[in-house]
Amino acid sequence: MSNPLSAKSEDKDKIYKPSRATRLFLVWKKLRRSTLAVAGFGIVLVVAIAALLAPVIAPYDIDWTGSSRRPPSMEHWFGTDARGRDMFSLILYGARISLYVGIAAVSLELVIGLAIGMISGYFGGVVDEVLMRITDVILTLPELPLLIVAVAMFAVRSIHVIILVMGVVGWPFMARVVRSEFLSLKESTYVEAAKSMGASSWRIIFRHIMPNILSTIIVIGTMDIPWYIFYEATLTFLGFGDPSSPSWGVLLEKGYLYLGSQWWMITFPGLALLFTSLGFNLFGDGLRDALDVTMRR
Amino acid sequence: MTLRTYVIRRLILIIPTFFLISVVIFTLIHLAPGDPAQAIVGGRPVSREILHQIRLEYGLYDPVPVQYVRWVSKLLRGDFGFSFISQRPVLSMIGERIPRTLELMLAAEFVSILIAVSLGVIAAVKHYSLIDAVSSLGALIGYSTPNFWIALVAIMVFSVELGWLPVSGTQTLGTSFASPLDAIVDHLKHLILPTSILVLGWTAYLFRMVRSSMLEVLGQDYITTARAKGLKERVVIYKHALRNALLPVVTYVGYSIGFLLGGAAVIENVFAWPGLGQFMVTIAEKRDYPTLMGLGMIIAIMVLIANLCSDIAYAVVDPRIRYE
Repeated sequence: MSNPLSAKSEDKDKIYKPSRATRLFLVWKKLRRSTLAVAGFGIVLVVAIAALLAPVIAPYDIDWTGSSRRPPSMEHWFGTDARGRDMFSLILYGARISLYVGIAAVSLELVIGLAIGMISGYFGGVVDEVLMRITDVILTLPELPLLIVAVAMFAVRSIHVIILVMGVVGWPFMARVVRSEFLSLKESTYVEAAKSMGASSWRIIFRHIMPNILSTIIVIGTMDIPWYIFYEATLTFLGFGDPSSPSWGVLLEKGYLYLGSQWWMITFPGLALLFTSLGFNLFGDGLRDALDVTMRR
Repeated sequence: MTLRTYVIRRLILIIPTFFLISVVIFTLIHLAPGDPAQAIVGGRPVSREILHQIRLEYGLYDPVPVQYVRWVSKLLRGDFGFSFISQRPVLSMIGERIPRTLELMLAAEFVSILIAVSLGVIAAVKHYSLIDAVSSLGALIGYSTPNFWIALVAIMVFSVELGWLPVSGTQTLGTSFASPLDAIVDHLKHLILPTSILVLGWTAYLFRMVRSSMLEVLGQDYITTARAKGLKERVVIYKHALRNALLPVVTYVGYSIGFLLGGAAVIENVFAWPGLGQFMVTIAEKRDYPTLMGLGMIIAIMVLIANLCSDIAYAVVDPRIRYE
């Protein structure tokens, strides 16, 4: 810090760069302009609250059983299932699983996609060539069939297997985008400046390039959450999930048996899925516009 | 680069991709926990001698790379091996089901393109109008709806409640049709629901593409020029804008094979449609390794061909792409 030059540039930073809170506020101001984006944010908030406070909000305990297959009424807003459990309470608890799955799978996708995209984009060369060929191959294969086969390979039926498989199958797009961002940013003047001042690769990657691709990553992550929630529900519905958990996919799989007579058993879990994914999609679209992210496949 | 060199280059590029895909599929299946010999006997308790016999027969004692080379060299000769479970040739089992899935996919693709392109163009041309708002919101909802759930709801409404359309299968069982025409009509009735569900998801996706691509093109200078020249609005939209707006859409139609196959995997199970999707779930549950690997390769080949076709189509309609 004794270097007068660096002190000067830090002063400049302080003058021109708004604080983190201010920047968040600016994004929110942009986001607020779009009614749909705000609606999406509201929906995501509602689902998050439902998930967090499920034990408090749910009128019945998750193990509580009454008479089975009752239609919706004042006591049971969404009716009861085949085992006599309250559907409304089950759906609230299901929100926990869906959100957990969405966030966990996106985190896994982030870690793998970032690592591979970073290495590929920053270091280039043979490593880049090899990594990108593998990425392209996985991108070529249709996602859902790949997930079905991969999940089926495990003997255990658990939510964690599904998360693991989704994260491992889902990273290529993230890697591609991160790589292309790195490719363009590493040629920028400020990276060159940092290099000339002797900054290590590590420092350049994490202190100089990363902050600049954060918004892209956030947008992709937000838009991928509903897909993972979908895929989990789909895989579970097809019989590859953990039948003991009250996930929305399990509720739908069981409701399928009563398709002809008990409409509420499949209507409400499906609406919950639709509501959640609509929220994330609206919010993701709004974020993309507010953060001004352009993505090309 | 001429079109011919471009196509040849693209064809050559398929070879390494094919091998990489085969490695990925082979690894995926072989990473699987559990003993394939146990899978062959279906998990039944059998003596160690029998398991040993099976391992010898299927070459399971060989090192994995050796197994891979043997598998690929057989693949190249068109030998996809035999199912662990039914002992039938994998290729003929897949062959029986491909037409069913293709029928579903092509019907869905055709209807989707028709709806998505016309609605997308209207929405973009009448930007911020009611029709734009309604169709955009509709697309967003269609995009956010789980396809298997909407399939269940459709069965509930159209088959169970109203009784208009059949619930499942490709043909009403146990009836003899008076004429072949009746049989075709009956089959088409079975096709309506599964196709509509596939169309819903894909149209929503495609619509967003067409609309945003059209909006982008309409904002460009040459459109303003065309209008300034006094051209009729119809000519501007159809001759100047639409042609360019549809370019990226061509790529998405190639990409759709993967999307629709994923959709078919789910829809076919809900509607008991005897295609590749239903087959895939069944054999995945049974862990029929040779069939799974074969099916994986067939699906990959289908996707590769679709991508190749869309790339070539793109190069034909947009000569610029060849110079990249």
